[in-house]
Amino acid sequence: MKQYIATFFSHFGAIRFQRLCTQLGWPAQLAPVPRSLSSSCGTCVLFQTAELAKNDLGQLITPELEQLVLDDNGYSFLYTAEE
Amino acid sequence: MMKNERTTIITAGVVVGLIASLLVYFGNPANMGYCIACFLRDTAGGLGLHSAKAVQYIRPEIIGLVIGACGAAFAHGEFSPKGGSSPLTRFTLGFFAMIGCLMFLGCPFRMLLRLAGGDLNALAGLAGFAGGIYAGIYFLNRGYTLKRTYKMTPAEGGILPAIAVALLVLLVAAPAFIHFTKAGGGPGAKHAALFVSLAAGLAVGALAQRTRFCMIAGIRDFILFRETKMLWGFVALTVAALLCNLTLTAVTSGSFFKLGFAGQPIAHTDGLWNALGLFLAGFACVLLGGCPMRQLILAGEGNSDSAIAILGLVAGAAFAHNFGLASSGAGPTANGQIAVIIGIAVVTLIAYLNTYKK
Repeated sequence: MKQYIATFFSHFGAIRFQRLCTQLGWPAQLAPVPRSLSSSCGTCVLFQTAELAKNDLGQLITPELEQLVLDDNGYSFLYTAEE
Repeated sequence: MMKNERTTIITAGVVVGLIASLLVYFGNPANMGYCIACFLRDTAGGLGLHSAKAVQYIRPEIIGLVIGACGAAFAHGEFSPKGGSSPLTRFTLGFFAMIGCLMFLGCPFRMLLRLAGGDLNALAGLAGFAGGIYAGIYFLNRGYTLKRTYKMTPAEGGILPAIAVALLVLLVAAPAFIHFTKAGGGPGAKHAALFVSLAAGLAVGALAQRTRFCMIAGIRDFILFRETKMLWGFVALTVAALLCNLTLTAVTSGSFFKLGFAGQPIAHTDGLWNALGLFLAGFACVLLGGCPMRQLILAGEGNSDSAIAILGLVAGAAFAHNFGLASSGAGPTANGQIAVIIGIAVVTLIAYLNTYKK
């Protein structure tokens, strides 16, 4: 299992994303965005799943998603919304 | 890492609380080492945007907060100009947040400092503030959003820091059109020396930028996530200011702590309106995403949405004094009570329209 962090443009985007994770059977919780990751709204989703392949990202990317980050002894950015 | 963050925030809270208490020792009004609402109001008065002679002084703390945050953001590669998220809505929320703060006579920051000075009226404010945060969270959880922000140019992000520098120039140069409350003429005349206030602003601005300190986030994150680290910062700030106030009272000839409701400095005893004032401020600030101080810090980082919210706060302050909405030690005014009710209605409507009618 890998640990991921998703940040959003709005709090509600985070709530919807958490529901999606739960539907997919991934453990997911809402949390304040870690200080070291900046974002538009203060809520992120911490979730765990097997390593995400490029193909998996499509279903996760919504207009509300700002960043998707793999947290594995440091952050690797898998997705950043267009600015 | 999380534990480390908590220690950092508690340490920052202690430092900010001590600075706030010491600013009163150095000349700021009682229980008002910092008050973002009062200081923006004083600054609006200094610029002649309102004519309440008792509260006119361009506060260097405000200038310092913006420039300190801007410097810290630059130093750590976090200056990130962005904006474009419902600007006029943010202006309106800022406007009414100020109307609420001036009903209570203080922003959430001063609410803590009033508690630290023994002013128990701030407890009514705290209850209203928490209620306002609850109201905001109700809408957040149901889909409230002001739509996303976009990347802006450095020129856009640099405007508010530039305005802060311009204010400093006006304060130092003191041309005839800048207003200063005359000595003994009211809270505007009470201030620490310019360089003390400015240094305090710079220090707290940089600290708040590094720690994301926010008076809203403490209660909001606790309600939303049972996350307590910002709340501990909140408590640390209050306790540090309280202990410093008690020490100052013991070792100096001044009085920095007085427990009770009646006769508190720059405060009134109307519990209902203290609560409703900060209910309005808390509600509006959750919808803005941060307390008035946090808006200043974000504006220093180049966020023009926050800059617009600050302009709303300043306009709210000017209107509050021009229309007789601000409370005084004698209590709230009828005009102010009507304005707070209108404010609660408008903020509720904004919350509703941006939650259900997108």
